[in-house]
Amino acid sequence: MIATARYEMAMMLRKRSMWITNAVIVLLLVLLNVSGWGDALRDPDARNTVASTVFLMNLMLPVGYGSLLADRLIRDSRLGVAPILDATPASPTGRLAGKYLGTCAAAAVPLAVILFGFAAVYSVTAGRPVALAWAALAYAVVVLPAVLFVGAFALTVPLVMPAPLFRVLFVGYWFWGNGISPAVMPTTTQSVLSPAGVYSNQELVGLRDFTLAGPVPGATLNFLRPEATPATAWLSVGVLLAVAALALGVAQTLRTRTTR
Amino acid sequence: MRPLPLWRHEARRAGWTALLTPPLAVAAPILIAFVDAGANASDHEIAQNLFGALEMGVPLAAGIGAASLVGRDPAAELLLTTPAGYRTILLRRLAVTVGWTALVALLLAVPMIATGWWAKWPANHGALPGQLIWLAPTLGLAALGFLAGAAFRGPAAAGGLVAIFWIFQQMFADRVQEQGWSRQLYLFATTRGAVPADWTANRITLIAVSIVLGALAWLLLGRTERLIQGVTE
Repeated sequence: MIATARYEMAMMLRKRSMWITNAVIVLLLVLLNVSGWGDALRDPDARNTVASTVFLMNLMLPVGYGSLLADRLIRDSRLGVAPILDATPASPTGRLAGKYLGTCAAAAVPLAVILFGFAAVYSVTAGRPVALAWAALAYAVVVLPAVLFVGAFALTVPLVMPAPLFRVLFVGYWFWGNGISPAVMPTTTQSVLSPAGVYSNQELVGLRDFTLAGPVPGATLNFLRPEATPATAWLSVGVLLAVAALALGVAQTLRTRTTR
Repeated sequence: MRPLPLWRHEARRAGWTALLTPPLAVAAPILIAFVDAGANASDHEIAQNLFGALEMGVPLAAGIGAASLVGRDPAAELLLTTPAGYRTILLRRLAVTVGWTALVALLLAVPMIATGWWAKWPANHGALPGQLIWLAPTLGLAALGFLAGAAFRGPAAAGGLVAIFWIFQQMFADRVQEQGWSRQLYLFATTRGAVPADWTANRITLIAVSIVLGALAWLLLGRTERLIQGVTE
């Protein structure tokens, strides 16, 4: 499993396109709000500044790495190496876990560069080095659960449908499930099931610019939006990881059936 | 004019994925429109969803479809030796992808015009010029996807770039429309446009940009040695 993870990670990290795609998003975010970023770099509230930055990152970047990871599991079959890998002593479960962890780790590296890069610059401009600690917490409880959630589906769903179709549906899901206001239509936005991580960002990191987690008056699916507390924030992280594990279990079942 | 069998072959080769993607991309907003209709929503809200299917769903399907054309041929070297040329083949596939998406758009737009739903959205721009509602962003995103596919030599990152561009304009609609230059590149100027007077300029800009991006992709695909190297896995 570790060997597979290391190989998958190294392979992904060498993909220039992954770095370019992430750079494009950052460039778009910066270009459209240059003065806003200038103000953010001088804001004395380190906790809220880091939380707001992570909120933006987690709203946008998963679409990019979700699309990038969509061909990782089906690639072995496409290249015709799946039967050879099946013949090796490495167990299929270990290889799947290794592929999953390796690709997710690689997707998480540019996110770390962006977040800690911002936190480092902010630490200097605002004179608040504590931002690096908040960034570490935000990375662990907001960014990583999203990577693991999106990564699990990006590996699993293309086993039952072609990757381009998955990408279209995934983008549509992301907008519906994380962008559309719950007041407009039934959606998982602002719920414990939202990989944008509003519960953990608000309750554990300290997002204060806007209140997103918690019940929305008049909205449907409010049972997925309990009162925002640190406990429900951890519940949200747990739910996201559990759903990701479930998706991976489905992937394993599907692959076992195909191998037979 | 190319013989019909070539086009027929490309349409068949595209497979059921390419066939299903555009209808599925427009199905969600149409479904929401039906649910809205059942829940006594206003005609304005229902029409917005139907126009959303045209202006948001159709371009996304075309963009990701166009991004998936380069880097999937197991024998690209052989195709590079054909008299037609590989980039002509890719251009034909792009035409099939965009053409089918356009047909799906028309299959939605024509009944909307016939039933009067087209007129229920204030910014419909008439039956004929109004087709730019879906055509301009479709050409824009398809050209971006095709260029990204040519640049990255694979569908994963190219599809990701199209997805990012689309979701960025959805999530930061206000921000994108605050500045003149980005407002001209806004994909959803009909259904979420902030400055109605800019609509025509926005549509023309999107089409002009699509021509430039398409030309760049054509030039890039001419460097055949890049295609033989394959995508960095």
